[in-house]
Order: sequence, then C-alpha cells, then structure tokens
Amino acid sequence: MSEFLIRSLDASTIFTIAALGELIGQRSGVLNVGIEGVMLFGATLGFIAAQTTGSYLVGFLVAIAIGALLGLLHGFFSITLGGDQVVSGMGIWILGFGLTTYIGNPYTGPLGLERISPIFGLSPFFFIGLVLVVITWYILSKTSLGLRIRSVGENPSVAEVSGINVTRTRYLCVIVGGALMGFAGAIYSLDYNPVWNYNFIMGWGFIALALVFFSMWNPFILLGGSLLFGTLWQLSLNPQLVLPGVFSRYIWRTVPFVITVGVLLFMATKWFRTRWGAAKPEALGQPYLKD
Amino acid sequence: MRIGSHEIKLERRESLRGWQAASISILAIIVALILFSLIFIFAGKNPFTAYREIFSYSFVNPFGLPLTINRFIFLLLCTCAFIVPYRAGLWNIGMTGQLYAGSLAAYAVLYALGIGESTVTHLTPWVIIPLMLLGAAVAGGFIGSIAGYFKGRFNVNEIVVTMMLNFITFWLVSFMIKEGGPFMNPGGRGESFELPPTLHAPLLWDVPFTLIIALGAAILLYYMFARTKLGYQIRAYGKNPAAASYAGISKLRIPVEVFVMGGALAGLAGYHYFAAVPGVYKIARNYGYFGDLAFYGIICGLISQGNPIAAIPVAFLFGGLSIGGRFVQGKLGMSFGIDYALLGVLMITLVAFQFFYRYKVVWVRVQEEKLDVGIPH
Repeated sequence: MSEFLIRSLDASTIFTIAALGELIGQRSGVLNVGIEGVMLFGATLGFIAAQTTGSYLVGFLVAIAIGALLGLLHGFFSITLGGDQVVSGMGIWILGFGLTTYIGNPYTGPLGLERISPIFGLSPFFFIGLVLVVITWYILSKTSLGLRIRSVGENPSVAEVSGINVTRTRYLCVIVGGALMGFAGAIYSLDYNPVWNYNFIMGWGFIALALVFFSMWNPFILLGGSLLFGTLWQLSLNPQLVLPGVFSRYIWRTVPFVITVGVLLFMATKWFRTRWGAAKPEALGQPYLKD
Repeated sequence: MRIGSHEIKLERRESLRGWQAASISILAIIVALILFSLIFIFAGKNPFTAYREIFSYSFVNPFGLPLTINRFIFLLLCTCAFIVPYRAGLWNIGMTGQLYAGSLAAYAVLYALGIGESTVTHLTPWVIIPLMLLGAAVAGGFIGSIAGYFKGRFNVNEIVVTMMLNFITFWLVSFMIKEGGPFMNPGGRGESFELPPTLHAPLLWDVPFTLIIALGAAILLYYMFARTKLGYQIRAYGKNPAAASYAGISKLRIPVEVFVMGGALAGLAGYHYFAAVPGVYKIARNYGYFGDLAFYGIICGLISQGNPIAAIPVAFLFGGLSIGGRFVQGKLGMSFGIDYALLGVLMITLVAFQFFYRYKVVWVRVQEEKLDVGIPH
C-alpha cells in the first residue's frame, strides 16, 4: 500500500510540473495545447541522452532545453506570427507524437541505468515539484514580474500602454512553460517508468491541460488536482488494491479520462462558474498584434 | 527588407482567392517534403531514391496502389470528419475514438445477430452490411455528439473532451477484443473474431464500395457548405458564434450537429478499415496504429482549408505517402515510424504556412525621399 502511495506521488509530480508549465503560459495569455507533444519530446530525447551518456543530469538538461525550444517555437508561431494558438499547439503535439515515435524507436526498452535514489522514501522530484509550485505562486502573485505576466494575460493592450513589453513577457512565459513540460516528460521516462515505448505518455499531457482549467490558474489548487489525478492514474493501473475483481483492467484504464471529462463538466456548470469562474485570464488564446 | 530600389514587405491579405489558397497549400506540401528529406539524409539514405521508391510503390506498383486507395478512402472519411466541425470553428481531434466506436458497433451488429466466425449466416449480406454501416455511423456520431453537446451546452473545451474520448474508446476496444472480451477471436490472438466471407464488403474492381461513400460524403459536404441553410449556419457560427446566436442560430444545435456528422463519418472510416479492406476483416491487434493514422485527417483538413473537394487529392497524396513511407522503411532498412515522422513534419510545416494564408509578401518600389524644405529651386 505504501508502494502504491509513493507511486501515486511520483505520478502527481509529473502532472504538477507539466501543468505548472502550462499554467505559466496561460497566465500570460498563451494557450499551448501541444503540452503532450512537448512532454513526448522531453521524455524521448532525455531518455536517449541519458542512455548514451550514462548521465541523468545530461538527460534532464536535454529535456529542459528541448522543452524550452518548443516553447520558443510555439511563441514564434503564436506571438510573432500572431497565428491561431490552437493550430500551433496542435502542430507541436503532432510533431512530437510523430517525430519521437521515429526517433525513439531504436531505443525501445529499459533505460538500463541505476534508479535515481529516493529521499525519505520518495522520489526527489516530488520535492522539486513542491518547490516549483511555491515559487510559481510567489512569482505570480507577489512580485512585479508576476503582476506584469498577469496583466499581459488579462489585457495586453492596456499592459502595453502602461509600459510592459507584451511580446517579451509572453515569450518568457512560454519558454519557461515549455522547459517545465519537457522536464516533466523526462521525469516520466527517466524516473517514473524508465522504459521507452511508442507513445508512452498516453494522454498525460492532455490531462495536465485539463488540470490547468480545474486549477482556476492557481498553483496550489493545481497541486491538489495533480495529487488527485496521480492517485487516480495509479489506481487505474492497480485496481485490485481497492476493488479486486470488479471490472476488467481495461475498463479501469478509462477511469482517469472519464473523471477528467466529469470534472470539466462540473466546472462548467452555472453553479460553479458564478462562484469561482472569474479566474480565467481574459486574453487567453487571443493573439496580440500591434498595429 | 530592402534590396536595391525595391523592398520586400508583409501585408495583411484582404481576401484569399481559391487559387491563392491552393498554391500556398501546394507550396507547403513541397516544403514539407524537402524538410522531410532531412530524415532520409540523417539516416544515411539518398532522399531522391527514397522518394522515387515511395511514389512508384504507392501510385504505380500493382501491390502498392490498392493499399493507397484503401488508405485514401480512410483518410478522406477522417478528413471530412475533421472538416465539418472545423468549418464551425471547432476542433475534432476525436476521429480516432469515433472510428474505434464505429468499428466496435459494426462488429456489435454481428454479435447481436449471433454471427461468429464459425456460424453460417442466415440473413443476406444485403441486410447485414447496411446494418453494419448504420451501426458504425450511429456509434461514431454518438461519440462525437458527446463532445458537441458538452461544447454547446456547457462550453467545455472540445479538444480535451475528444482526446479523452479517444483514450476511453481505445481501452474499450481492448476490453472487447482481448482477454475474454465478447468479440475476442476464438484463437485468442488479442484481436476480434473474423467476418464470415459472405459479409466481406462488396468490391468494385477490387476496391471496396466504401470508396463511393467517401467520395459521396466529400461532394455532399461541399454542396452543403455552398448551398444549404445548414451549411450557411455552420459557417456563420464558425466566423463568430456570438453574432450567429444573435441571428437566431442555436449555440447548442450547431456544435452537436457538426460533431454528430463528423463522428458518423469517422465511424464509417472505422467500418472501412476493419470490415471492408481486403485482407483485414477483423479488428486487428494493432488497431491503435489505424487510430493514429486518423490524425492525418487533421493535416488534410487544414491543408485543404476546410474544402471537402480539395481534400480529395490531398487525402490521396497523403494516403500514398503514408503507405509508401512504410514500404520504403522496410526496403531501405530504416527504423520504424517513417510514416509517423512524416505526419509530424507535414503538420509543423503546415502550421508555419498558416501565416501565408493571412499575409502576403509584396515587392514594392521604394519611394525616393525628397528633402523638401520649402525653398524653391
């Protein structure tokens, strides 16, 4: 049972960090639906780098770098070119899905390095995740940088008039966000489940995207949501721990996805929106073009 | 950028004519193929040889061409499934789930009638095959309607919902065909029972009749968008949902209708691949691969700019490229996933080219600046 809890926390860590990356970007008004693609890239290239060099550090650095690069690409399409953010995000997702399937295939199989040693029985990344949540919360709500980010996400023209560089702020956020997503992908492939397999992220990125909507753009609620979904995910893999013999294991695998849809629905109800719905960044998804 | 007495500038397009959109799309495909040749170069293969192999196998070779045509039917249906919601400004990335549901429903019809691999049918195929088609379309439409209803009624992001439904139906298929599921093959190979030969889809010159359905769907959709009230309403909703709602177009009905139509078409694509393609006739163990192929529908839909007639040649080309990619990977001894890599490269190039649908590059003469201080010469 404690093994189960530890695995759940590991899974939540990945959701937390990936979703934090998305949250930072969205707070500045840029929606990145390609989070799954960025995670796949980070996971695959991080895996390959770690396996060839034998160093975890190199693996993580490569993953963070490729994540930042993809964030930059998304920024270029959606900020500089002013394109549709959904189109660009879809592009990044399908690019990641397609290209990593090809690039990673020769590396199919286990990583073959000694596992990363736990701290107090937990994966070290769990603590990194907690620290990142606190830092993100602090920067977004207590510093002038956070104020700039939020104002760019709420009303970019007003922000621009008051002397904030919208383009630069948004670029900063998508690049940092991309780096976090790539990092989360590498945690999956180097620590959580160090085996490369075709399309192994299996929807984590999309669940992380939904988590940002749940969180109402608050890092602490995001952490709570991630803990819930990490546990759910682990449960869907090991249903025998709770309800042995009920349903086929394949039916259990659908549970996290069904619950994601259910929670999104709950959040869309009038009751919920009138109480909590005002948190959404006003300019989310809209390109800002200076004339 | 200034060159001599001329300057290159970017200008926002006021309007985009059909031929302009077509030439941008063709250019995007060419650039993508040039970029894709890097994959061959990195793998140490000559890209010219590779492309020659791909094109000659997919479009000329007597073994490759039928595969291309079958892939084309599938892709065209998936593309149409993407296009209908796309015209309403909505993203259907759930073709995968809808086609899984369609194929499950087609087999559920047989299961309900008690037709397994071993039994001989007592009903004529003229009744059962239309029932299977209907089942596939209804099931696909149902899965689609979930996303459409949630979007219309609660404004829930349709991308997340359709993607979640993809995973849900993926595992449902596993449940039905593996480990003692109702549709399991008696041989227990992790695939569904096989269609009895009498229920194989009729072939016209070795091509499944689903070709007619796919082409018919594309033409009907074109007609619908161009001429009918519903088509007009969908386009109006796509341009501006709020304005459309002031004009009396229902904010609930349009998303549901486009997703039902799209889902039904994707469901038929599921029927096509698992019940009509010669040599398959069962829900294969690697059904996930066919689900992934459905994402080509997104690319075809974007490249054809939501025009179902333009989607026909695009789907044919991409059908051939994906078949040829698989072939050349074996022939040149490359690693698995060439067709996946092509998918990714095409998509990202296309995204970059979206810019040119909105802007044009103009070549203007620079006006000589005269210094005019008001003193007559």
